Amino acid sequence: MEAAALDRRIAELRRARPRDRFVRASLGLLALGLGASWLVHRFSFADFTSPRRVENFERFLTEIRPRPLRDRAWDWEIWRSWAGEVMTATGWESAAGTLGISVLAIAIAGIFGYLLAILAARTVCSPEPWLREPCPPSPIRRAAWRTLFLGARLVLILMRALPEYLIAFLFVSFIAGSAWPGVVALAIHNAGILGRLGSESIENLPPRTLRGLRGIGARRRQIAALGVLPVALPRLLLYFFYRWESCVREATVLGSLGFASLGFAIADSRIRGRYDQLVFLIGVGAVIVLVGDLISAFARRLVR
Amino acid sequence: MAAETGVPARPFPIRSRGAVLISIGIAAALAYSHLGLALGDLVPDAGGLEIARDFFSRAFSPAMSHEADWVPDGTASLPMRALRAIGRTIAFAFAAMSLALLIGIVFGFTSSTAWWAGRPAGAETALGRFLRRGVGPAFWLASRTFIVVVRSIHELLWALLFLVSFGLSDLAAVLSIALPYGGYLAKIFSEVVDEAPRGAAQALTAAGASGPQTFLFGLVVRSLPDLLSYSLYRFECALRSSAVLGFFGYSTVGLFIRQSFLSSYYGEVWTYLYVLIAVILVFDVWSGAIRRRMV
Repeated sequence: MEAAALDRRIAELRRARPRDRFVRASLGLLALGLGASWLVHRFSFADFTSPRRVENFERFLTEIRPRPLRDRAWDWEIWRSWAGEVMTATGWESAAGTLGISVLAIAIAGIFGYLLAILAARTVCSPEPWLREPCPPSPIRRAAWRTLFLGARLVLILMRALPEYLIAFLFVSFIAGSAWPGVVALAIHNAGILGRLGSESIENLPPRTLRGLRGIGARRRQIAALGVLPVALPRLLLYFFYRWESCVREATVLGSLGFASLGFAIADSRIRGRYDQLVFLIGVGAVIVLVGDLISAFARRLVR
Repeated sequence: MAAETGVPARPFPIRSRGAVLISIGIAAALAYSHLGLALGDLVPDAGGLEIARDFFSRAFSPAMSHEADWVPDGTASLPMRALRAIGRTIAFAFAAMSLALLIGIVFGFTSSTAWWAGRPAGAETALGRFLRRGVGPAFWLASRTFIVVVRSIHELLWALLFLVSFGLSDLAAVLSIALPYGGYLAKIFSEVVDEAPRGAAQALTAAGASGPQTFLFGLVVRSLPDLLSYSLYRFECALRSSAVLGFFGYSTVGLFIRQSFLSSYYGEVWTYLYVLIAVILVFDVWSGAIRRRMV
């Protein structure tokens, strides 16, 4: 008897579980897409097993052995001097360039992204921020604020829609000769992302204090500068450092479009057929990314 | 102290935020001077200005047919070509994500500490102790190292490595996205599972559930919304990465953007760009809607 009651209760709970048609259908569609992609496009596994490819790969394995060690037993002493030469020739310089591009880009992205985030926050960008006005705002004012809000959202979406590499590719043709294309591309994409994340965390701020400020007559920009930003700052800095990690990672490849960063040195060694340097420099890139992750983790702990 | 004086504590401690902000400023200034940049270089020179003008003047009139004077017979029309390119871009992204999710789930499990670091409920068998003290940490260390390495190499660099070692291969393109993304997913999966509230898991253990049962039903199920929401974000990134792989010779939309841009067929470039932007926007809005309803 008791077991039957328990079963009934379990069935009841099962019926009452949260279900959402839309979420289920969407996830189902995505899962379908995962499988379908292998059928729609014929990916050939023979790519890795055909004799010519295997031969290619075997040659590659001999060529990634550092040049001075090509025909002799492995010797760390020789390796160290070889690695030192590569580092002085291109390694240090391009590593510094990579870090520089990422730091400058994220700083610019932070400024513009978070300024846009304030405009793209529903709670700020409204004719009646936080409190209702004594007399309702005119339809024109309502429409104007609505337009501003939607405009800011649209700008942010468009900024983050295109990948960094693509933006940099376009900008290299407009402003060649310096690292600006890389910086600008990273800044545009990341400002779009920071703006979205920032506007979400601004909307989720506890409204009591902000309502209070509005109640004693503070203007919208005063509240934004003195109420919103200081309280949201830890969150904003958290996102800032998360995105910086991604900037460092992107900056390792952007240079292949032709400015001083690791990607340039890597592309260059590929053209010269120096696969030993290519693999070594990719390793340097991985180390830079790791160092970036560590610095970012440390900084995130500081601001949390 | 605060309690004694009756004054409530400030809810937002400042700590070192000022120092962090100033350090960011200094770092940015150092970067600016190291890169030898000048604000004036942001203004295009005569040649660049002409390209920029030609390019942006086509923004509102994307090409609907090929701009080249002559195209070989049997060439697909431009809209068709753009749709096929974006179709391949999506196919590459989805294929990559299916592998990445596999890597993420397997290595997310082995990289989490939750399944072995906890104290067992009852008496421990010799096998249990061996698993917990020996196999667990060894697996954890090995898989952590693996996901750190695959993650810290950019997908385009993976693509380059495959390119120089095997040659052009669509499967290699998929793998080069799948490896770093798998690493990211594994990292997030393991962190989310490890940080999930342990209440349910402890209750299950107390009720006699085995280790794997506890892990699956107490921790994984609980963190499922977070895992899904992060995976959706990665889907969006995979679309962008897949598009960019075209710049390295794969037949995704990036290839056509590059070719048309280098031939100065800017109308075609905008056609491809708009198709790409449209797909990414749809996915952005769609995944946003899923996320909102899931949490």
